[in-house]
Amino acid sequence: MTTTPLRVIIVDDEPLARLVVREYLKAHPGVEVVAECGNGFDAVKAVTELTPDLMFLDIQMPKLDGFEVLDLIGRSVPVVFTTAYDEYALRAFEVHAVDYLLKPFNEQRFAAALSRARERILARETLPVQDLVAAARPRSGPLERVLIREGGQVHVLLVERIDYVEAQDDYVCFKVAGKEYLKDQTMAAVEAALDPARFVRVHRSYLLNLERIARVELYAKDSRVAVRRDGRRLPVSRAGYTRLTKLL
Amino acid sequence: MHPLLARGERLALYLALWMIAGALLAALLTGEGGLTAWTAALLGFPLAAAYAFVCLSAWYVARSAPLATSGMARLIGTALGASILSSAAWLAVARGWAAALRRWSGVSISFQEIATLVFGFGVLLYLLSIAVAYVVAAFEHAREAERRELKAQVFSRDAELRTLRAQIDPHFLFNSLHSISALTAADPGAARRMTILLGDFLRESLALGAADRIPLAKELALVEKYLEVERVRLGDRLRVRVSPGEGGECVVPPLLLQPLVENAVKHGVSHVLDGGTVVVTASCTPSRLTITVQNPADADRPRSKPGTRLGLNNVRDRLRTLYGSDAAIRWAEQDGQWRVEVNLPAQKTP
Repeated sequence: MTTTPLRVIIVDDEPLARLVVREYLKAHPGVEVVAECGNGFDAVKAVTELTPDLMFLDIQMPKLDGFEVLDLIGRSVPVVFTTAYDEYALRAFEVHAVDYLLKPFNEQRFAAALSRARERILARETLPVQDLVAAARPRSGPLERVLIREGGQVHVLLVERIDYVEAQDDYVCFKVAGKEYLKDQTMAAVEAALDPARFVRVHRSYLLNLERIARVELYAKDSRVAVRRDGRRLPVSRAGYTRLTKLL
Repeated sequence: MHPLLARGERLALYLALWMIAGALLAALLTGEGGLTAWTAALLGFPLAAAYAFVCLSAWYVARSAPLATSGMARLIGTALGASILSSAAWLAVARGWAAALRRWSGVSISFQEIATLVFGFGVLLYLLSIAVAYVVAAFEHAREAERRELKAQVFSRDAELRTLRAQIDPHFLFNSLHSISALTAADPGAARRMTILLGDFLRESLALGAADRIPLAKELALVEKYLEVERVRLGDRLRVRVSPGEGGECVVPPLLLQPLVENAVKHGVSHVLDGGTVVVTASCTPSRLTITVQNPADADRPRSKPGTRLGLNNVRDRLRTLYGSDAAIRWAEQDGQWRVEVNLPAQKTP
């Protein structure tokens, strides 16, 4: 056992549910609750600022659910899920959760989860970030909203509000109603996650929302531009044009 | 399919029973017909075996004139007619067999003397077969009815369970129990109040769920009880306003609103950071009753989140089953408010 305390955050939108975890933790010396969060936004912020050793995480929460929180923090803070729903157990296992506590749970079950977490932390079993993020991804159907973390702050972009996505060095930039949001992701990953019937890779660097296209113009021989509804133009490559004509 | 032909062992048993008839016939032929025992046996047993097959047709005769629906004249007519026909056919066979026996073994049989005897015996046996067929049919009918009833019982129990499950989300129970578990240490008094609240809600929903229709006032009281339990869990984030208007005396199917308020909490208020108010109102004209459930919705939520529609579809299906096209449910989102409206005929308590 390490001498430094185990730093824990408790994430649950129900005050009473947080109380249960806090109370059960009292029986275990060497554990310090560094934060309690009532929603996903606060959880992302707390993880960013406090880098805890362990997180007790509810799944059904306002704004961001537990899996989205995991997706956003994108690092291997060991997680013990606490939920009344048993149908997420498989997904929790896929994102390498330490344990999965079904509400209501008793002290013995909680203690088992805690000691399992301690073992994992001691073994320094860190998981590659990409694995975690990739595992958190697969759900049924294309992405409906893009989550972007800016420091401790989270932006939720509904997919239909995205005008287009632009590749910028190691980042992708989401353009939404004149605003820009950077995300540490590859263009290919974004393209794969978004609905292919709605977003077209018109160019190596551009992924365009079909509904924003007014028309496509020939601009020079073999070179075209897409004119958006707001009048701005985006280059269209030859491969991009083929993809576009297939959809329009 | 004939029940005796369906299985080999049944047919064997049937033929064995017919050998008794064969022995009887042989005895009759010896006593009344004046044949030697040996000749009577030679004649009686094969004829009984042959007639056994003829009498299989009695089952179809019995089916063609069911006891329950046929008049007495028809029953007797059918039975007698079939018996006479069959026995006549049997008599022809018997005549042929007697002739064959005469030719092969030289025993002299005066067929004229035994014809009446064979014919009468045949008619009686056939009538007996029809009677047995009726008994068997009645027995099978009773068993079939019993099985159908059992099936119907299982089905209705199943349906009951399904509606109850559709109307009360089990996760509501798990979460409430978890809240109680938290309160037992922190605030035992509150824990007790919560268990009683939850107990009341469950008992009442089970009692009301069994009814066909309940007054809207009762339904709304149940809704309030449910929301009170949820308020223990969600705290100040959940606010509630229920106004029955003048529709309180109208009757509604029990637990009709339960999935709607459940949605309002689960997919509405609980997803908004600061929570919000669930508003349930009712209004009534002489012919129509309108109930609305309104709650704030998170503008950034994923649109196709599963679950919301399940409750709405359940309510819609239920309305369709109960009222046909005379009831409707509509939902829409406006200015961050999710609003469901149920419109149904205003039926008053008798």
